[in-house]
Amino acid sequence: MQKMDKAQFHRVNRPETIKLPFMLDFYPLEDAKLTQISQFFQNLKQGKLTTTKCKKCNQLLWPPRIACPSCFSNEFDWIDLGKEGELYAFTEVRIGAPLGFAQDAPFCVGLVKINNLTISSRIDNAKHDQLKIGDRLHLKIVELGDGRVFFRFAQP
Amino acid sequence: MRKVAIIGGGATRSGKREATWRDLVQEAGKSMFENIPNLSPKDVDSLFVGAADPGRFAFLLHVAPMVAEYLGIQPRKVLARTELMCASGQAAIRYAWACVATGLSDVAVAFGVEKMYMPDMAEAQTNMSCVLDREWDGVNSLSAPPFFAMTAQRHMLEFGTTEEQMAKVCVKNHKYSALNPLAQFPKEVTVEDVLKSLVVAPPLKLLDCSGITDGAAGVVLVPAEDAKKYTDTPMYVIGSGQASIGNNVNNLASLTEWIPLKIAAREALQSAGIALKDIDIAELHDCFTISEIIEYEALGWCEKGKGGKFIEEEQSYIGGKIAVNPRGGLLGCGHPLGATAILQAIDIMQQFRGEVPKGRHVQDAEIALAHNLSGPANVHSIVIYSRSMR
Repeated sequence: MQKMDKAQFHRVNRPETIKLPFMLDFYPLEDAKLTQISQFFQNLKQGKLTTTKCKKCNQLLWPPRIACPSCFSNEFDWIDLGKEGELYAFTEVRIGAPLGFAQDAPFCVGLVKINNLTISSRIDNAKHDQLKIGDRLHLKIVELGDGRVFFRFAQP
Repeated sequence: MRKVAIIGGGATRSGKREATWRDLVQEAGKSMFENIPNLSPKDVDSLFVGAADPGRFAFLLHVAPMVAEYLGIQPRKVLARTELMCASGQAAIRYAWACVATGLSDVAVAFGVEKMYMPDMAEAQTNMSCVLDREWDGVNSLSAPPFFAMTAQRHMLEFGTTEEQMAKVCVKNHKYSALNPLAQFPKEVTVEDVLKSLVVAPPLKLLDCSGITDGAAGVVLVPAEDAKKYTDTPMYVIGSGQASIGNNVNNLASLTEWIPLKIAAREALQSAGIALKDIDIAELHDCFTISEIIEYEALGWCEKGKGGKFIEEEQSYIGGKIAVNPRGGLLGCGHPLGATAILQAIDIMQQFRGEVPKGRHVQDAEIALAHNLSGPANVHSIVIYSRSMR
């Protein structure tokens, strides 16, 4: 870039740093004022990973819903998925993790079979070369530091 | 329904470009109009802009009228941006085709553009991490490489596919991109180069992944009966198909068997009135090496699970059972999301016109299939092109 004579120009005000914009945060909104599925997060705070099951057509839905895509009922039960899952596929994020996660790399992610669902999750407490498809994993609840929580799975 | 033809097109070189989003638009627009001397921007009544993420990559929205302004077009029929992530350009072509076919438009431009290189590449990676369901999959860092890494892991487990077989897809596509002046990576590679490249997300290495790419391209669609007014060598759009199942990874049909691709292919072949064996060139969406392997299977060029063997036997080279990605693929040419399908269409047109170098020219090709997947391979979009009107 060409050098400029700084004395020549008026320097405008610009902030030195800008806080990460709220919607660049990957984690879901969980407050009842912001989402219709805050029950999911309330359950998570009680140590339970849950999802919605349609009362009318009995379909178990992941992620949780407020309207059933089969019958459009709004009536749901919150089903406890349990605390143990089985590893279906996994990899390790070595490069290219997004802002907010890059500091954790390398870290393992996987698809976990639980209660007839196959859901994605971070896999904690695990080394990539020691993980195996079929491994038993335990539910792990993490807190995000701002009053919110999320779930992961971990090796025992 | 009217028959539809593509009368020409133009593109930028793909790669890490010292250019802004709108520089790329102007470069490709100039190249497109210069390719069709009898066409004036004033003749164009409709414009579709395939752009996956100008909001994050260039901090621009409402981009279709901006492209129109920079191309000297004043649309009076249909104008829109078409977003379907990696298939945004294919969406633009399909909308333009549908509008010309129904008579809504008489001259439609299908354009595609993506500016992906940013001063801070962590920001670019972040932009790509909300493609999969952001709050339930993206939040677990499931962007494309980890997702396709797990797809590869399952394919290896279920069918015995190897990392060497995957590497051979990259070797083939780079053999052809080495002969493509528009390619981001115009250079041959060896199996060893691929296996020794940096691990991104095991089992995928850097050379198993298509690049981050800047690029733009455009093509012009008109009713087939008008095509010869503009060129002696138009290319005809003779069929198309698209299908989608699920979005969150829990709701996909299967990781290793791409059922929506089978559905889209059936629809595309049926609408074109052709059989699989009639296809001479296949431009397949090789965003990752494993993708191309699963696509051989889903499209029916080999049995389920035999895609690794198919590349190992060099059946997807020119002269094999089917010439796959003689352009050089996304692996060799780069993947400027919105522009990719347009670049495939232009290269097929040049194949039909005999304008590509000998080493990657498919002799006497009559029919070509162009395919894009998007997201976690839940969406598949296909267009079928023909050298002659059918």
